[in-house]
Amino acid sequence: MIASIKENDELQMNAYCDGELDPPSAVEFERRLADDESLKARYNRLLSLRRAVRSLPQYELPPCLKARIKSALDTDRPGQVGRPSQVSRLRQRSWSFQALAAAAVFGAVISSSVMMTMDRYDSREEVAQQIVAGHIRGLLAPQPFDIASSDRHTVKPWFTSHLPESPQVPDLAAHGFVLVGGRVDVVGHDPVATIVYKHAKHTVSLTTVPPRQSVSDQTIAGYNVRSWSDIEFTYIAVSDIPPEDLVSFEHAFSAASPVWRTLDSRD
Amino acid sequence: MPNMTTPLSVNRSNSWGTELNEVLSGKRSEGSDRLSSQQQAPVPIVQHKNERAAFDEVFLPHMAEAYRLAQWLTGNACDAEDVVQEAALRAFRGIKSFGAVNARAWSLTIVRNTAYSWLVKNRSKAMVFTEDLSPAEQQELEHEGPHGTRIETPEEIALFKADAEDAEHALAKLPAQFREVIVLREINQLNYRDIAEITNVPIGTVMSRLSRGRQLLIALLGDRR
Repeated sequence: MIASIKENDELQMNAYCDGELDPPSAVEFERRLADDESLKARYNRLLSLRRAVRSLPQYELPPCLKARIKSALDTDRPGQVGRPSQVSRLRQRSWSFQALAAAAVFGAVISSSVMMTMDRYDSREEVAQQIVAGHIRGLLAPQPFDIASSDRHTVKPWFTSHLPESPQVPDLAAHGFVLVGGRVDVVGHDPVATIVYKHAKHTVSLTTVPPRQSVSDQTIAGYNVRSWSDIEFTYIAVSDIPPEDLVSFEHAFSAASPVWRTLDSRD
Repeated sequence: MPNMTTPLSVNRSNSWGTELNEVLSGKRSEGSDRLSSQQQAPVPIVQHKNERAAFDEVFLPHMAEAYRLAQWLTGNACDAEDVVQEAALRAFRGIKSFGAVNARAWSLTIVRNTAYSWLVKNRSKAMVFTEDLSPAEQQELEHEGPHGTRIETPEEIALFKADAEDAEHALAKLPAQFREVIVLREINQLNYRDIAEITNVPIGTVMSRLSRGRQLLIALLGDRR
């Protein structure tokens, strides 16, 4: 019996440490952690193990391997190399028709890609509009977040349980940006995670959307917008603080939520 | 807290949370159903594309991670290169079967499976697979051990300070099924759902292996002092 309670404790402690507990269980676990010296010691030991494992050298992909794989793939198509066949001789004869057709296709592709680029530009600016609208809605509501907590171990699991993709939630209090909570905004038809920070009396909303959707830095309805990307997300920060403060916010956030660069600095 | 449930999160996240709770509260036995990511019907997106372009989009971005995983599973750089290259070929040939759900998990699954078949072929005795053990032995390995049945006193739980070399040795010494979940979690930083998908075991097993693997590491590192 004791063994099975212990076992369950271990699982719960590991799930908490991995940010995989749902918020009520996480809060309950935190309460127990505060009361139970033995549990606390075991949890700290788990954290020091994590630090040790994450400080291991990161093996880097040898540059030549990628090239080797690409050339291996090039030869991995039986039937597509060598052998100038009858088909290719026929093809040569109809070269001028091909050129004509190619020119037509080329023209069509160019014009459609220009239009797509314009569309994309429009839709990105639309994204910025919607995100600023989410920020304003947050400011008008009794509180600008759905989950209030200054503990990133509470906010992160809450996102995880509400969204398919959830960002890291660093606490940037040391840089003057205090974590106050998180909320779900809707961009287009998709729910996205927004982390809410306070900077003095100002609210900073940091919305995360799928990567490669950066919007230009701009001012919408009096709010400054700044965006940047890493491989997991595009981040869009909205606030009424000056643009240069948003820049330092970006730096603090990027430094505190490493994706691959410094895996050991997190715990 | 307002109910922010959206159709998307019902599909993916909430059922996942329920499952985790069931595992934790003991309502669900560990060996039961695979995790709910299977509920997402695979949508073939690659069929209209050039296979090479699909490969570049799906597998290539995860190559650095693939290499890291292969290195931890095989234990050295040369083997890792061979494994990644073979996995890349397998991925390329099988790109049509990619279901557009999770390119990262799909790619790492191939790398993981390639690494194991490579090890079986090239180094027959170096590995202990859980599949080789009897159910009783497997049970014992995953749940019992030096710290398994006893509650330690706070004084016994010393914080250890392991340097990178110690940690590397200890991790390399772990049996494969524990090492892989720890590498996937700590080095590749995947969530439980993806780890379950890649290692092809239920979520409860991922949790117990992580927990057990970490206890083993702690014991190994403790012994070195």
